[in-house]
Amino acid sequence: MMMTIGHKTWVIPGGRIPPHSAGREPSATSRDELCVLNTNEQGAQLEITVYYEDQPPVGPFRIYIEAQRMRVVRFNDLVDPVPILLDVPYSAVIQSDQPIVVQFTRIDTSAGAITTTMAYPDKTIS
Amino acid sequence: MAVIDKKVWTNWSGDIHFEPSIAMAPSSEEELRQIVCRAIEHGQTIRAMGARHSCSPLIKTNQVLLSLENFKGLHGHNAQQQLATVGAGATVEEIGEDLFAVGLGMINTGHINQQQIAGAISTGTHGAGKKLTNLSGQVAGIRMITGTGEIKEYNETDHPRIMQALKVSLGSMGLFTQVTLKSLPAFQLHRRQYCASTDDCLHHLQQLMEENRNFCFYWYPRRDDVSLRLWNFPGQGTQQLPYARLYKEYTGWGKDVLPTSHSLKYNELEYALEAQTAPACFTAIRKRVLEKHRSQVAWRILYRPIAADDAWLSNAYQRDIVAITIHQHATLPYRDYFNDIEQILQHYGGRPHWGKKHSLKAAQLRRLYPMWQPFQDLRTAFDPHGVFLNDHLTEILIEE
Repeated sequence: MMMTIGHKTWVIPGGRIPPHSAGREPSATSRDELCVLNTNEQGAQLEITVYYEDQPPVGPFRIYIEAQRMRVVRFNDLVDPVPILLDVPYSAVIQSDQPIVVQFTRIDTSAGAITTTMAYPDKTIS
Repeated sequence: MAVIDKKVWTNWSGDIHFEPSIAMAPSSEEELRQIVCRAIEHGQTIRAMGARHSCSPLIKTNQVLLSLENFKGLHGHNAQQQLATVGAGATVEEIGEDLFAVGLGMINTGHINQQQIAGAISTGTHGAGKKLTNLSGQVAGIRMITGTGEIKEYNETDHPRIMQALKVSLGSMGLFTQVTLKSLPAFQLHRRQYCASTDDCLHHLQQLMEENRNFCFYWYPRRDDVSLRLWNFPGQGTQQLPYARLYKEYTGWGKDVLPTSHSLKYNELEYALEAQTAPACFTAIRKRVLEKHRSQVAWRILYRPIAADDAWLSNAYQRDIVAITIHQHATLPYRDYFNDIEQILQHYGGRPHWGKKHSLKAAQLRRLYPMWQPFQDLRTAFDPHGVFLNDHLTEILIEE
């Protein structure tokens, strides 16, 4: 029997997509991205809501992760219902109908910089 | 007479709002003719709406707004001559079904099949394919009500000059009630979609345009890569694309495989460039977007080849073209972005799409269309009272 790993709600408070890139795109596009692991035997439906400093939240951005798979998602590519603006601070709340594990990474190819961290799992809501 | 109980109207993207004095959906040519006669008598103007998909204010009016939603259906067909006469208020999707029921198919359609055929023809709406014309090029005959309240029929054989004016006429010459379309025996297409780098796409562009019945690419500003779209009769078209990754393919009837479903609403700017200059124009636009607009722009730019035709106000009049379409989410500001990119499109000699955003007026448009004056002469003859004009049409067709 597969072990259930993770939580249903994750938070990334410090998003900001780097505006400039260096190198051949799209592999070298500067970006914020999520790595999502779904160890469940069911697919996980995610809904991401994005919060800004000076405007109402946008979303939900819907993403599906198949059972027992991981998926890398660029915040840059989230355009439906509305794109996330580049170089603007944002926070993201990720809600899933299955427990998942979420890692957040920022790659700024113009600065040769990469940072990564686990997203914050909200255990009270999960 | 069915009066439509609705006060404020919008276009598809929600960018244009207006309040006609009355909106009606007549159900017969005679009702339609009477509306035109009353408008002439009372000095009113009329605009007929299609599916309201246009981003330009072609249907904006504070007077009479007409829906042709009751003018649908297949009125006749000739399988041997591959001709079919349909109601001018039918959508491209509905025509696809009607023709399929008698073993025929539209030669080509756009990526969206929700437009009513009269509007799609009249604005020069198109699909993608180097050897395929826009939808007006499929028209063999038109039945209409003129601005003098007469019911008339025209066809390419007997009235070639009138048809050259009528096909792309923005609803300025009359109300189409039936359209006869050239068609093909119902056919299947194999649709393939690939991811590729923009540079590889541009390097193979001429080959892709030449070898595939329908071809276009979408450029994504947030990734600087492209999605290639190929449609071919099964077994035909470019077979080897080692520089691209196939991510979707399927085969089906043309009516089902040519359109693309859209969930997002957007505003559009589009110009048609001569095919030879289009790659340089696209390259300039790509550079400008990456340098200046990427933080605010995420939706795609579309590159579609289209064959030359002979409609006087078609933006493909006597030249093979590529339509470059700029999209911006309907909820985001578009004016600064479109104004900036439009300068590039104009620098490369583009002609605007009549149903999309553009800033050109009659004095500038006249210079782009060699048959401008003959068109105006016929337009005035068909609508001597200006019953089919609104402010926008007056700006782009008359005022100089």
